[in-house]
Amino acid sequence: MSDRIDSFSRRKFLATTALGAVAATIAMPSVLRAQGAGVKLGVLHPVTGALSYSGQQGRLGATLAIEEINAAGGIKALGGAKIEPVLGDAQSTPEGGNAEVEKMNSAGVAAIVGGYASSICLAVSQAAARYDLPYVVDVGVADNIVTRGLKNTFRFGPGFGVIAKTALNNLVAINNQAGKPAKTVMIVHEDSLFGSGLAKLLNAQLPQQGFQILETIPHPTPTRDFNNVVLKIKAQNPDIVIPANYYNEYVLVARTMQQQHVRPKGIYSVLGGAASSYKFVKEFPDAAKYIMDCNHWFDPRNPKALALKKKVEEKGQFYTYEVYMNYSCVLLVADAIGRAASADRAKVTAALESSTFAGHVMPYGPTKFVNGQNQGAAPVNTQVLDNDIKVILPPAFANGKPVFPMPA
Amino acid sequence: MKSVLPIVSVIAALAVVPLFVQSNVTLNFLVVTLLIALAGQGWNILGGYGGQYSFGHAAYFGTGAYVTAILQVRYGVNAWIGFAAGIAVGAAVGAIIGGLTFRSGLRGSYFALVTLAFAEVLRIVASVAPITGAGVGTLIKLDLRAQALQFQSRAAFYWLILALVALSLLIAWLLERSRFGAWLIAVRENEDAAMALGVDATVVKLGAMVLSAAITAAAGCFYAQYFLFIDAGIAYGTWISIEALLTPIIGGVGTVFGPLLGALVVKSLGEGAKLVAGDAPGLDLVVYGIVLVLVIWFAPRGLIGTVADARKWVLHRSSRSVREAGHG
Repeated sequence: MSDRIDSFSRRKFLATTALGAVAATIAMPSVLRAQGAGVKLGVLHPVTGALSYSGQQGRLGATLAIEEINAAGGIKALGGAKIEPVLGDAQSTPEGGNAEVEKMNSAGVAAIVGGYASSICLAVSQAAARYDLPYVVDVGVADNIVTRGLKNTFRFGPGFGVIAKTALNNLVAINNQAGKPAKTVMIVHEDSLFGSGLAKLLNAQLPQQGFQILETIPHPTPTRDFNNVVLKIKAQNPDIVIPANYYNEYVLVARTMQQQHVRPKGIYSVLGGAASSYKFVKEFPDAAKYIMDCNHWFDPRNPKALALKKKVEEKGQFYTYEVYMNYSCVLLVADAIGRAASADRAKVTAALESSTFAGHVMPYGPTKFVNGQNQGAAPVNTQVLDNDIKVILPPAFANGKPVFPMPA
Repeated sequence: MKSVLPIVSVIAALAVVPLFVQSNVTLNFLVVTLLIALAGQGWNILGGYGGQYSFGHAAYFGTGAYVTAILQVRYGVNAWIGFAAGIAVGAAVGAIIGGLTFRSGLRGSYFALVTLAFAEVLRIVASVAPITGAGVGTLIKLDLRAQALQFQSRAAFYWLILALVALSLLIAWLLERSRFGAWLIAVRENEDAAMALGVDATVVKLGAMVLSAAITAAAGCFYAQYFLFIDAGIAYGTWISIEALLTPIIGGVGTVFGPLLGALVVKSLGEGAKLVAGDAPGLDLVVYGIVLVLVIWFAPRGLIGTVADARKWVLHRSSRSVREAGHG
C-alpha cells in the first residue's frame, strides 16, 4: 500500500513538473507580449580584426545605452517594450558588415546602429537600403556616406568636411587671439583617406589664412620610427606641427618630438589619433602636454555625459569617443522608435528624419537631419591641460582656456 | 576525371538551392563561398596544374574589381561591359606579371615573393592614385536593375556566380584533357625535363597565368558588383591572395573540384565557429584556426587527395583480402 502511494506520488510529481515546464515554455512568449514585445536593435561593430579596439568600445557604448533604456522601463510608447540588442561583428571588413546586415534583417531588427570605419559604413548602408532598414552611422566621417540619397542612412556625428573646416577656423581663431605668433606650419600625415585628404585640404586653405607650409610629410600606417621625420621638423623649426595619423603613430610622433626636445609653439591635430585620448594622457603625460586637437568629444557640461564617463571608468575602460557616440546614437534610435510608437521600419525612418532629439551627451546644436546628416553635429577643440583633456572651443561648451603658444 | 557528368550534377544540385532556401543569410553565405571558390579556381589553374605558387592573386582580383567599378562610376560604362572589361584587363595584368617573372626565369619561392610584391605595389598605387579614389575607395551607386548588373534578389546574384563557377570548373576539366594541360602538368612535375621534350615552358606558364588571372579577375568583378564598394585594402589586400590559395590547398591542389570543396569547407567552418562562439569577440576565429590546423594536419594532400588515398587504401585492402581468401 505504502509502496503504491509512494510510486504514485513520485510519478505524479514528475508528470506535473514536466507539464509545468512545457506550459511555462509555451506561456512565456505570451507573458512577454503582455508587457510589450521586445524591439530588436542591430548593434554592428568591428569587434575583431584591425579595428577591434574601437569596435569593442563602440559596442560598450551601445550596450550601456540599451541597458539604461531597459532599466528605465523600456520604450514607453510600446508598453514598456525592452530593447533586445542583436550584436554583430563586422570583422573589420565591409563584406563582414554586409553579412551581418543580412543576419540582422532576418532577425527582424527595427534599425541598425554602428559601423565605425567609413568603408564598413558605406557597405552596410547600401546593404541595409535593400531592406529599407534604418541605419544610424556611429562614427564614419567620409562625406559620401550621406550624400548618396539613401533614405535609410543617418549620421548623427559630423562629417569630414565640417570637421576640417571647423579645425581650420579654430586654428586661425586661436592664433589670432594670441596675437598671431605662428606663421609657419609642418604637416605629418598618414597616407590613407583621412590623412591625405586632410593634408590636401590644409595645403589649399592654410596659405589663404596667412600661414606658410614648410613641408608636408606623408607616412604609411603602420610606421614604427619617426626619428628622421622629427629631425626634419627640428631642422625646419616650424611654429606649428600638425600631425594627422592614427593612435600608435600619433603617440610615436609626440614622444619622439619630446625626446629630441622639439618644442614648436603648438601641436595642433585634426581627428588626432591620440590627442583626445585619456589613454595617451595617462600613459605619456609629458608628451601629451598642451597638445590641441579638433575631434569628436562629449559635452563636458552635461551631467549625463559625466555620469556615463564614471560608469565606463568604473568598468576599467577608457572613455573614448566611440563610447559616447554610440551611446548617443542608440538613444537617438530609441527616441525615434518611441515617437513612431512602432518598430515598423518605414515609421522609424520617418521618425528619424523629423528627429529633434536632445537627450544625447554630445556638444551639438539642435538635432535636424537633412539628407541623413545631422546639421547640429560639430567637432570641438580640446587641449591637454593639467593632465586632463579640456574643451577650449567653442565657448558654449568650453571648460578650459586655450594655452597657446605652449609655455617653454 | 573522365566525364563531365560530375560537374553537371554538382552545378545542377547547387542551382536548385534558391528554390528551397529563402533565407538571404544562407544565400549571402553561399554567394561569398562561390566567390572565393571562383578566385581559388583561378589560383588552382596556375598553382595546382602549373605548380607556380602565386602569393599575389590579389593583383588580378583587384584589377577586375577596380576596372568594373571605375568604368561605371567615372566613365558611365554599362556594368556588363565593365564586367567583361574587368576580366580582360585582369588577364592583361596577368600577362604582364607573367611575362616579367617567367622570362626572368623566376621559380618557386622567388616567383611567390615577386607575385606578392606586385600585388603590394598595386595596393599602394591604388591607395594614392586619384582614379581609384585613393584612400576614399570607389563606391558603385545602388541601382537595383538587371541592366546595371545589380539584383534585388540574392538568388539572381547566386545564379550569376554559380554560372561563373560552372564555367571555371569546365575550364579546369577541359584543361585536364587538353594537350595544353598535359604540357602544363609536365612543367609542374619537372620543368627541365619538359623543356628537354620540346615543351616551351615559358609560353605554357604564361598561358596558364593569363587564364588564371582572368578567372580570378572575374571574381573581383563580381565582388565589386555585389558589395558595391572597394578600396585598396579590399581589392589588392593580402586577404584575397590567401583565400585564393587556401581553398584549393584545403580542397585539393590540381583537381577540378578542389577549390569549390575547399571554399565550402573553409567558409562553413568559419560560420560554424561563429555559431559555437556566440557573441564573444574573436572566439570564432580561434575555433576556426584550430580546425584549420587539424584539417591540414590530417589531410595534407587536401580533402580530395585524402579521399582518393582512403579509397586506394580500401581498394588495396579489399583486393588483398580477396587474394588472401583465394589463397585460403
